[in-house]
Order: sequence, then C-alpha cells, then structure tokens
Amino acid sequence: MSARTRARRNDHAGRGASVLVAALASAFGVVLLEVTSVMTTVLNAWGVTDMGSVRITLTIVAALFIAIAVYVSAIVTTNTVATIIAGRTRTIALMRLIGSSARAQRRAVATDGLAVGAIGAVAGAVAGILLGFVGLQILVATDVLPDLAYSLIQPVLAVPVIVVVVSTWAAAWAGSRRVLSVSPMQAVGAAEERSVEEVTRRPRRARIAILMMGSGVLLLLAGVAVGQASPLGVLIGVVGGILSFSGLVLGSHLIMPPVLALVGRVLGSSAPARLAAANAQRHPERSARATIGLVIGVTLITMFAVAGSTMEVIMQRTMEDPEARAGISESVSVTLAVISVLVGFSALIAAVGMVNNLAQSVLQRSREIGLLRALGFTAVQVRWMILAESLQMAAAAVAFGLVLGVFYGWAAAEALFGWSVEGSGIVAPAVPWLLVVLCVVGTVLLAVVASLVPARRAVSVAPVTALAAV
Amino acid sequence: MENTPSDLGLAARVTHLGKTYGSSSTAVTALDDVSIGIRRGQFTAIMGPSGSGKSTLMHIMAGLDTATSGRAWLGDTEITGLADAALTVLRRRRIGFIFQAFNLVPTLDVRGNILLPFALDGRKPSTTESTWIDQLIESLGLTDRLTHRPHELSGGQQQRVAIARALATRPELVFADEPTGNLDSRTGREVLTLLKAASIGYGQSIAMVTHDPVAAAYADRILFLADGRVVEDREKSSAEEISGIMLGMEQRA
Repeated sequence: MSARTRARRNDHAGRGASVLVAALASAFGVVLLEVTSVMTTVLNAWGVTDMGSVRITLTIVAALFIAIAVYVSAIVTTNTVATIIAGRTRTIALMRLIGSSARAQRRAVATDGLAVGAIGAVAGAVAGILLGFVGLQILVATDVLPDLAYSLIQPVLAVPVIVVVVSTWAAAWAGSRRVLSVSPMQAVGAAEERSVEEVTRRPRRARIAILMMGSGVLLLLAGVAVGQASPLGVLIGVVGGILSFSGLVLGSHLIMPPVLALVGRVLGSSAPARLAAANAQRHPERSARATIGLVIGVTLITMFAVAGSTMEVIMQRTMEDPEARAGISESVSVTLAVISVLVGFSALIAAVGMVNNLAQSVLQRSREIGLLRALGFTAVQVRWMILAESLQMAAAAVAFGLVLGVFYGWAAAEALFGWSVEGSGIVAPAVPWLLVVLCVVGTVLLAVVASLVPARRAVSVAPVTALAAV
Repeated sequence: MENTPSDLGLAARVTHLGKTYGSSSTAVTALDDVSIGIRRGQFTAIMGPSGSGKSTLMHIMAGLDTATSGRAWLGDTEITGLADAALTVLRRRRIGFIFQAFNLVPTLDVRGNILLPFALDGRKPSTTESTWIDQLIESLGLTDRLTHRPHELSGGQQQRVAIARALATRPELVFADEPTGNLDSRTGREVLTLLKAASIGYGQSIAMVTHDPVAAAYADRILFLADGRVVEDREKSSAEEISGIMLGMEQRA
C-alpha cells in the first residue's frame, strides 16, 4: 500500500468518525426534544395547570443535556480534524510547494467540515425522528402512554440540527489551525509529526488554565463553606465549578500526560507495555484531546451520582421516619438513572472519538510498526501493544473522571443542601458502588472494542514496510 | 547427500529462488532462478540497478517475504515455509537489521533502542552480553548519547545506534539495506568503515544491499543482480571496477 493510498484511507476513516459524531449529537438532540414534547402533551392531558412553566423547565433541562452532547462532539471533531491534518502534512506541504496558499488549504478543510456536519446532522435527525416515531408507537401500543394526538415533528427540531452543523464547522476550523504552520519545505524533507516539545510549549494557555483551575477550586470550596449557612452557597459553587472545569479542559494537554504516565506504569514492564505507555504520551496534545471528552462524560455522570447519594446522606441525618427515607431514596435513584442515561450519551460520543484517535494513530505509524515486526515483534506482541495503549487511555480518562466527579458531586451536594439541614455538618462524599463497577466494566469494554480494528490493521502491516525508502 | 550450508561455510544460502508478483496476466518477475551463498564472517555487497531484484532477494533471505519457488536457509535452518511466528523469533534472535531510514523507535531513547531485541525477547542481556554491548557503545562513540531520543541525534548518529542494535545480539547475519542512502558522503563513509570493522574485528557476517559503487567497494565480495538474475560474482573490487561492471550491465540491457 503506497503512502498516498494510506493517507487517503486515513482521511476517509477520520471523516466517517466525524459524520458519526455529528449524527449521534443531532439524533440525541432530536430525540430529547421529542421526549419533551411527548411529556408536555401527556401532562397537559392529565390536567396539569401551569403548563407554561413545566414546558420551560423541561426545555431548559433538554437544552442543557443537548449542550453537553454538542460540546463533547465539538471537542471530538476538533481532535479528529487535527489528527487527520497531522497525517496529511506532506500532502499539504506539496500543495503549498506548487503554489496553494495556507489560507486556501485551511478553507478546504473547513468546507469539508461543513459538509461532514451537514450530512451527519441531517442523517442523525432522520434517525432520531424515526426512532421517536417507532418508540412512541411501541409505548402507546403497550399502554405505557395514553393514545393522544402527539406532534413529533416540530420546527424546534431544526435547532439541534443547525447547532450541530455550525459546531462541526467551527470545530473543523479550530482543528485545522495547524495547516497554517505547515511549511512548503516539509514536502521535500522527511516530515514527521511535530515533536512533543514543540506542541506543548504554550505558556500563555498554561497560565490561564492554572489561574482558572486555582480560582475555580477556591470558589467551589467557598461555595461549600457558605452553603452550610445560606442557600447562596450553590451560586458561588456553580461559578467555581464551571471555572475550574473549563480551566481543566483548557490545560488538558498538561494534565493528561502525567495521568496517562501513572496508569501506564500499572501495565507492567514488558516491551509491548512499555512501548504502549510511551506511545500514549508521545503527542500529549493529541492524547489529551482523545481522552478529555471521556473525562468530561465520566465526570458528569459521577458528579450527578455522588451529588445525589451525598444529598441523600445529608437529608437522612434529620429524618426519623423510615417511610420518608425510602421515599427520598427512590426518587433520588430514579432521577439519577435518567440523568446517567442522558449524560451517558455524551460519554458514548467521546468514546467514538477515542476509538477514532487510536485507529488514526495506528495508520500513521505503519512504518514504525513494520520496523518492530522486522526486528522480531510477534503479531501477538503487536496486538497486546495496541490493546495496552487503548487500555491506558480508557483507564486514565475514566479514573480521572471518577476522581473529579466525586469531588464536584460532593461539593455540589454540600453547597446545595448543607444549609437546609440544621447541624448536618460536612459529610464525606457518598460513592455509589454500582457506579464504580460500571466504570470499571465500561473501561475494559471500551478499551477492548477500541483496540479491535486498529490491532487488526497493525498486525497486517508487513515488516517490509519499514525497509521501504522514504 | 547434500552438504549443509554451514559445512560450506555459509551464513545464509538460497537455491533456485524465484519470486513473481501479481497474477499471471500482469505478472512481474522479481527473481529468476537465483542461487547464492553468503559466506560466514564476510562483508558481502549485493549490487544492482533499481528493479534488479536485490531488495526482494534480501527480504526473502531475511524472512521478511516469501519466495514463489526455490529454497532459502539461514545457517542450517531452512526458512522457506516457516510460519510467521517462527520467522519472527528467527529475526529477533539470529538476524540484525540496518535500514536506509526510520531505523529507530522514536519513543525509546538510545539505550532502549539498542536493547530492543532483548526486550522483545522478554529478557535482560546476560553479563557477557552486557560487556559486549558496553564495548559496542564505546567503540561507536555513543556513550554520551544513551539517554537521547532519536530526534535529538544527527543522521549519522542514528545510523550508529542502528548498527549497535543490529550487532547487540551477535546475530548470525546482519542485513543492511542501503545503509548510507540517507547520509552525506563523509558520514556514509564512516558508517561503511564501522560495518567493515565489525566484519574484520568480530567476524560478523554482513549482507549489504546497495546501488552505490563506493559503498560496495568496502565489501569483501560483490554480487551483481540484473533483471532478477545473478550476473556477476566478484571478490573485493575498487569503486572504479564496480562502476565499470555496472555500466557494462546498463549497456547490455
């Protein structure tokens, strides 16, 4: 397989992942708005008065979760585009060499992003509408929902579609920043990916990230303290939470590599494990982008779960009546289950991004894998190396998200409810064991699934690949 | 009764080797009835113009590619028909490689690259092996570079690391594929001198594929390939003589 065919296949794989991500986000938005509409219709039929505020509340909740999904998918798309461009440096350099301007090259990438976003968003919307229609038919047929005049297709469904198209376009534009730094000379020389040092040296971004994280955590703790006495605590806490988490995402290229290194050490010291650990860290920005979506997803799920359980502990301190306790327990677990599914969808989008990142990285490393095969790496060792890499990324993201989520969830519960219960004091965060089990199982599952295709590709690399002239 | 390759003093041997690519209508013959032996302890150059089949020959001898017909041995082991896993272990333990470019694993430092064949085997070098590796590192002038990554080294330094790695396991045969192809001529001469010294000093068998007459002049013996066949087999020759032979081959073609 020539370098050019490889590059083209590379692009196709990346574009496919971007279409899938856009489709998932758009389908999610459409289904969520449909569910909102169905719930409103049902509540209306039940004779709930004050429909205006119910509709607004439901729409705000739906909008919040759609925003999370769109945000995660934008990060995933930015990452995918940046990764494709890293692998296409030589082609871009060649175009520059024969006279194409960097701006024109970048515009081509962004236009491509617009097309990908449009195709994905429309396909997702169609799938979402079909899903909503079929789901509703089943629920009505099984008497779960009353047979009412539901209106599934509404103008508002266009909103998530447009948002996804625009965000994919913007993400492609942001991800294509590197095109500007490709020099025509790179077409002549042997161009490799930029070195670790070149990519990470960004003092201004690092300073802003640290400032945001530091002040955010301080505000969050202040929120917890104020929350013990006054309902205002939660407002301070929310600002602190958003600030610190945004700082964390901004500085992920500084934070994720050490987390990855820590997890990598657990994998052992065999040659495949050590190479996998080094691979996961060789492009810190790229691994950070590949994993940060998953970190966000897991943090949110954990945050809601821990906040709910901790809140339950605070409330139950003052309740003697076992029936009231059971009531709280049940409503908390139902709410948590719904929220987990909603946030879980964003985690799924993030997982698609991680899988794609690993696949791209293997494609771009054909020569290196060929070298290892020539020097005596068996197919089994190559397979294990890819799996270890996948395991390292998934475990680092999930473990980090779990830790962050426990902290945020605990802070949220204390800031929200600390004051409402006289003398409850500060309680320890309550971590539902089911969540931890699900996270561990999810990590292993994701890692194995993510490594299947890349591992097969890696094993199929002929050792002769390494011997070919550049 | 056939003589074994080692009885004949050979590190590797192929008989009636043939290799065709593609299906019958568009078939391209890369090798056509090639029979050669690489003598133990010698520095052998395999020369020929582009498309002469020299790289294919090397790939098959090194267990990287399979032949369409004929047989190949490394030492007394017949490698034709060996399964991928067996070939992989054979390459790891008994063969050394030096390539034109992209010789080193970018995520490993110099020491990690040199010790890679041992790491792949899941073992640490023994005391004797460690002494040997230290001696190699010293003689190749890499002592101060052990913790450097490949991208921090010059092309010549990278190629010296590759030589150290190829010699570290004291393999039966080192294959070098255009080892000077990416280097300037002065650095290229240094690398060739090192290979020659390994052959003379340690009795290392080396097979080098090249199209450069100056490089081939460092070898003890030169095999010439053209259109998939061996056309000449010369003992040590000067760069001028080698150029003459190459030019003659061109004119006959």
